[in-house]
Amino acid sequence: MNRFIQGLHALFSATVQDHKTWLSHMIYFQESLGWKLFLAIITLVPLMFLAHYLFIGPRRFSHQKGLVFFFSVITRFIHWIAAISFTFLVITGLMVIFARSLGGGGLVLQARHWHLVSAIVFSLSALPMFLIWVKDMFPAPYDIEWLFMMGGYLSKETRPIPAGKFNAGQKMWFWLATLGGGVMAWTGWYIYSLGAPTHSLRLFVLIHGYLAAVLTGFFIIHLYMSLFAIKGSLRSMITGYKPKEEVEILHSRFKV
Amino acid sequence: MARMKFLCDIERCIACDGCVIACKEGNNVPVGINRRRVVTINEGQPGEKSISISCMHCSDAPCIAVCPVDAIYQREDGIVLVNKDTCIGCGYCFMACPFGAPQFPSGKVFGARGAMDKCTFCAGGPAETFSQKERKLYGQNRIAEGKPPLCAAMCATKALLAGDADIVADIYRERVFRRGSGVNAWGWSRAYGKK
Repeated sequence: MNRFIQGLHALFSATVQDHKTWLSHMIYFQESLGWKLFLAIITLVPLMFLAHYLFIGPRRFSHQKGLVFFFSVITRFIHWIAAISFTFLVITGLMVIFARSLGGGGLVLQARHWHLVSAIVFSLSALPMFLIWVKDMFPAPYDIEWLFMMGGYLSKETRPIPAGKFNAGQKMWFWLATLGGGVMAWTGWYIYSLGAPTHSLRLFVLIHGYLAAVLTGFFIIHLYMSLFAIKGSLRSMITGYKPKEEVEILHSRFKV
Repeated sequence: MARMKFLCDIERCIACDGCVIACKEGNNVPVGINRRRVVTINEGQPGEKSISISCMHCSDAPCIAVCPVDAIYQREDGIVLVNKDTCIGCGYCFMACPFGAPQFPSGKVFGARGAMDKCTFCAGGPAETFSQKERKLYGQNRIAEGKPPLCAAMCATKALLAGDADIVADIYRERVFRRGSGVNAWGWSRAYGKK
């Protein structure tokens, strides 16, 4: 019993010592940095893409050369479960970030509940998604080349881009969404349940916040690429087929 | 305007838990929620000390700083209150508080946390003073009635002092001078110190 009290006392004093570091950062994040960071991401990233759309323009590929089977039924099904739950996660998460402007109360409380529900659905779909795609997602030498030329998206010229079944950008998004999603689920669970020492919880709030900012950015990139930048990209995730011409250009190292 | 503060004289606290029970009964605090609690250190050993802890109504309160919905606010007299209609139960105030004051009842959906509950200094809440809603959500409004908080009023040894900071500090200073021990009031530098 005596040892137990000593242990508690040691834990308490350690908490008090760590208190300053994470707490001051958490206050900074909660008071101003957090919402400013997210506001910057959800305005500047779309603006950047608007400029891209207007000045460089989307890519179009003809279906003349035929189609290539790219995504199986199961892949598409799991992708859409992940996509819908992730969209909910982003929206409800942003609602909590901008809760001040929304006035708090019932609406944000609902958002917080739905954040949990979508997190569970996403976690369940992220695991099979990881297993299905992981073999195509390991870094390859030509990914560096892809990164240096920004995937060729900065020029109007159509020439073969160095990428396998997935390009370096898609690979980054994959690892962020699955492993990063795992970190989000892990930290999120502790934030939700308050099931860790106080100083760890503060650190988890910060990790959850910063990683969420990165994920939100990549989410917007993914939306732009699939909905606007490459015409017909959305259709490939519905039907499973990509135009052969698109695969030859954007995934030139992919052996059909 | 007077600045309200709590002071627990740890040389006097005998861990009778009268403050805890007065608070719970007088404010109809639900089971599992402790707006005030007594912590005993070195129990049964020489140098045993007990402290009665609740929300200290800090200056520059960290809970107010981290609240994502601005549900927590500070009155002019320093009393920190929460608006339960705005609170989303995220628990950030609990992570920021150095005194473990914020408490969370389990809510209706998936056992998720309900709105935060904590010591109100017996000053009710943002709902209309003496209204049914205020009584139900926040408890008594003894400050509006001109009475001290239940815990301090109940305290048998007058270890727990509550009220105008200057008067509280004067009483404590005089005690310290007379008995010659216990210079720093527990928690005061953390709660009311300059950052």
